[in-house]
Amino acid sequence: MPRVSRSFASLLLRFWRGLRQWCGDADYESYLGARRHRPDLRRGTAPLSREEFYLEQLNRRYSRLSRCC
Amino acid sequence: MSVPAISKASHRERALRRAAKAFAWVAVALAGASALAAIAWHRGEPLNSGWFVVAAICCYLVAYRLYSAFVSAKVLALDDTRATPAERLEDGRDFVPTNKWVLFGHHFAAIAGPGPLVGPTLAAQFGYLPGTLWLIVGAAFGGCVQDFIILFCSIRRDGKSLGEMAREEVSRRGGFIAQLAVLAILVILLGVVALVIVNALKASPWATFTLAMTIPIAILLGVYLRFLRPGRVLEASLLGVAMVLFVVVAGQWVAASASWARVFTLSGVTLAFALIAYGFAASALPVWLLLAPRDYLSAFIKAGAIFSLAAGILIVRPHMLMPPLTRFIDGNGPVFAGKIFPFCFITIACGAVSGFHALISSGTTPKMILRESHARFIGYGAMLMESFVGVMAMVAACAMTPGVYFAINSPPAIVGSTPEAVSRTISSWGYALAPQTLPALAQAVGEHTLFNRAGGAPSLAVGMAQIFSNTIGGDRLLGIWYHFAIMFEALFILTVLDAGTRVGRFMVQELGGRVWKPFGRTGWMPGILLSSAIIVGAWGYFLYQGVVDPLGGINSLWPLFGISNQLLAAVALVLATTVLLKMGRIRWIWVTLAPMAWLVIVTMTASYQKIFDPSPRVGFLAFANSLAAQIGAGTIPASRIADTRRLIFNNRLDAAVTAILAAMILVLVVEALLQWYGILARRRSVTLHEAPYLATQWPEGFAGTAQGDD
Repeated sequence: MPRVSRSFASLLLRFWRGLRQWCGDADYESYLGARRHRPDLRRGTAPLSREEFYLEQLNRRYSRLSRCC
Repeated sequence: MSVPAISKASHRERALRRAAKAFAWVAVALAGASALAAIAWHRGEPLNSGWFVVAAICCYLVAYRLYSAFVSAKVLALDDTRATPAERLEDGRDFVPTNKWVLFGHHFAAIAGPGPLVGPTLAAQFGYLPGTLWLIVGAAFGGCVQDFIILFCSIRRDGKSLGEMAREEVSRRGGFIAQLAVLAILVILLGVVALVIVNALKASPWATFTLAMTIPIAILLGVYLRFLRPGRVLEASLLGVAMVLFVVVAGQWVAASASWARVFTLSGVTLAFALIAYGFAASALPVWLLLAPRDYLSAFIKAGAIFSLAAGILIVRPHMLMPPLTRFIDGNGPVFAGKIFPFCFITIACGAVSGFHALISSGTTPKMILRESHARFIGYGAMLMESFVGVMAMVAACAMTPGVYFAINSPPAIVGSTPEAVSRTISSWGYALAPQTLPALAQAVGEHTLFNRAGGAPSLAVGMAQIFSNTIGGDRLLGIWYHFAIMFEALFILTVLDAGTRVGRFMVQELGGRVWKPFGRTGWMPGILLSSAIIVGAWGYFLYQGVVDPLGGINSLWPLFGISNQLLAAVALVLATTVLLKMGRIRWIWVTLAPMAWLVIVTMTASYQKIFDPSPRVGFLAFANSLAAQIGAGTIPASRIADTRRLIFNNRLDAAVTAILAAMILVLVVEALLQWYGILARRRSVTLHEAPYLATQWPEGFAGTAQGDD
């Protein structure tokens, strides 16, 4: 039983992570993660705050076709 | 002695496993073929929709397992050792290596709009058979292949757009045609989807109130996400979904109150101007305030409604009351005029083959893909899923009685304007409809009337409401389910409208900036206002002409939309064919050449008929000429002459737009043929503009750097 509940909990956790990535909730963490493991990205620039990143992301996303007919 | 024994046993086990697998796939193929045969040849008693679900799912599984595997391995030779743009150019913003299931969700949410719901609903006037077959076959051999190969091309070119790739690989003219096609499709698309909303909301206080309330809800979410909890999309969206569901229920109280109902009972023309004003505001306002939060809301409700519809169909398994083929395959259909060939294939674009998808496949998705092999699952697989949405829409439309379907979707100029006249006309076609049936249905769903609601959205909403209410709540909840379905359709049509208007604004600014530099600056307010006005004015004009068209507007605008969408698909497939030729895959060229040839034939035939057909209901020029003759003969009252002259102008304009689209297809095909001849005759140097090969540094099990939790 504990094994079943463990795999169920892991399934739920993966679903939760996937949902956050799908809807954009996790975008800021991804951005910080990319900066952490790519030294070239952080050279000479401070990371954007969550608010700055959110606005920049929206402006970029909605300046090209992102929704189809 | 024991080693060979073990090896023999494991060999036998492997062979058995292979045989079991082969047997399972043969069983799936046989189940799909049997279900398709039942759909095609069944006559008499209404067919259960379970056959459609089985046929579609089995065909998709076989197509994915065999055809997409063949395209991946033989035609494209996908290479997982090659670093994708998400690895080489990772920046945490655009280029983000993403788990393939998450990216599948992203890609599907981006490609699935109102098209796969509205197109099949309109094409149901031919019966369920032609549309269903086209949805399944068109997707497997056309739409999925297009999406998959364009995604592959873009991955190999650092995520370049369709226009950039067409310019580099085909010719400068090919790239220019692609850009023009994108602008043309955008304007026509926005006009036609806005018309679908107008026809769903006119004279409906409940639906109008519900949709109007989504605007303050979106603004509230925008402020929440901007100032209170920046970027916390999930919690804000769930809050917004709860509020939207509340206003769906609250709409009935508004409709029941005489004074409030008056405020929200609007005519088609008033709604058209309201939408035009909304489009302008959404394009000019900051994106965080209205556009983005509405998109978040729409994505959640879209996903929820599509899964609910699938579950509802599986649980209820309604019977298909529409016959497999109706008498309207002869071209005299009341919903839109035109024979089954080519108009069935123009009406159902999204769900089978949609050129617009090529813009998404060469947009965000190629920048986020982890491995080349994921392109098969995401490009081919997501399109199969969209095709399934189209099949479900077909089931929902064909599960209602044909009389009701035609009464909702036919304009009064054809069926009359009183319940008795509508009932008489539709019954004379062989589809029984009592005069009181539709008024009673309208009352059951909380509407004043369901007559003259061309556009597909209301009939789809009735179909969905019947399926949902048979699952939960029974007739008591029919009104709530109907308005939930209308809100779901209208909400994501509005999302297409505001996102499309904004992108159209950027395109206009880019073009204008070539003439006068300051106009091209995206932050310059006069430029923003003027370009927003230009793009909104362009689609607003098509919307207005659709609203005042006595034949319902959909009859002229939806084919125009289908033609422009398939033009873009032809551009995409020309590009794909050219790339395959340059890669030396001449043997497999038919994979893209066959769907391209089919689309060119369909599009050119439809364009010719829309311009020159002698029937006034089909040909734009014939309709304009017949109206001009009526003015000449003095049969039009003096008070209506100005309106009639405007109709004449609109039809001639539609004929000119169709001719321009057809000319673009011809130029593109000639351009491509010359290019291919040059390559095959070795008269041109073959240069593939792929990014150079770089081996991936990621380990085999790597699933992306995108973070999922705090």
